[in-house]
Amino acid sequence: MKDYFLPKKGFRVIFFIGKGGVGKTTSSAAVASYLSSLGYKTLIVSLDPAHNLGDVFMLKLKDEPKKIANNLFGMELDMEKLIKNYLRNLEESMKYMYRYLTVINLEKYFEVLSYSPGIEEYATLEAIREILQKGDEWDIIVFDTPPTGLTLRVLALPKIAKIWTEKLIDIRRKILDKRLTIEKIHGERKFVIEGKEYKLPSKEEDDEVLKELRNYKSEVEGVLESITDDAKTSVVAVMNPEMLALYETERARESLHKFKIPLNLIVVNKVIKLDMDLPQLKVKMETQREVLKEISKKFKGLEIIHIGMYEKEPRGFDMLKEFGKKIVES
Amino acid sequence: MWQKIKYFFKGFLGSFKESSTEFIEFEERELENIFAVLMMGSFIGIPSPPTTLLIRLMPHMVREIYVMQRRAVDMDDILGEMAGLMDIE
Repeated sequence: MKDYFLPKKGFRVIFFIGKGGVGKTTSSAAVASYLSSLGYKTLIVSLDPAHNLGDVFMLKLKDEPKKIANNLFGMELDMEKLIKNYLRNLEESMKYMYRYLTVINLEKYFEVLSYSPGIEEYATLEAIREILQKGDEWDIIVFDTPPTGLTLRVLALPKIAKIWTEKLIDIRRKILDKRLTIEKIHGERKFVIEGKEYKLPSKEEDDEVLKELRNYKSEVEGVLESITDDAKTSVVAVMNPEMLALYETERARESLHKFKIPLNLIVVNKVIKLDMDLPQLKVKMETQREVLKEISKKFKGLEIIHIGMYEKEPRGFDMLKEFGKKIVES
Repeated sequence: MWQKIKYFFKGFLGSFKESSTEFIEFEERELENIFAVLMMGSFIGIPSPPTTLLIRLMPHMVREIYVMQRRAVDMDDILGEMAGLMDIE
């Protein structure tokens, strides 16, 4: 039994990363199924915009946790809906600006915003944050992620966001400092636009912008803390016995290391095992052997599991549970 | 009579007060402009902070966005503004 799959501090978060098509969804679904059968209340979340978690369970999943089996719940994030929700919130909270600030054509701002670079990653991070915030409802949360590139971007975001927020807080404090100086000479200042008066905040505790910045910072720090804590988060890299997958996993390991996110296990999926020699597969088998050798050399010190190629695609709870048992117990 | 002298001094000192903060106010506007531009960097193609943050801050940034817009409009007369500050006619 691998203890990095089990909750130690509150709840356990498990990320499955890997190249496209290596079997991340199947492995994550398998592990989630097995852990749920052990009695842990498990949630599996698909972050991949091209969802197929539902297909693996042969069910239709939505963006709300849905019961799949006893103790097992699943959900698929709907990116488009997330982004739309995002912007709708903005629009609502800005209605008062609309009234007084007709100088600015806000609709155009929204349009550009919905296509702004990185909004998908940020929406994904936001979704992860929300799920982690309510993490105490679960014992184990399994994330099935989009292919490596996007996932690494998302996992890198909390740190980047933190740096940004810290810099912005610096500038904001400078602005407030200037305002306070001016206020000491002129008294309280008002900012009048289109007939509407705003009081210019000059103290740190009155300034909504600074408050929001600080809130955001602490939220991001929360995510950062839980994904870098190996008593809380584990990462499983899934790969196939192929050179390209090996290179990608290596790069992923370096990136994870840079962000101090723990990598615990490598699952080598779809390994072909033959009892007899098949001349047609001779070259394939040889490459596989070489890659497997390379894997154990490159990832020395890390736990590696080989999973054989299934004759039939593992789908449905029972089959997945068996598959999961192999990963968790071996 | 005394009243008039009082008003005179008030006005006199007031103008001093006004000019004493000119530079700081200019600095303040510059900083507000920078803050808004940084927040909205994605509109002009510079690296920008998390979109979430912009979305959450925009409702409170009425003044900053206004200053930024004014700054963009006055862009062609930066030297004029500087000259005004330095009392160059």
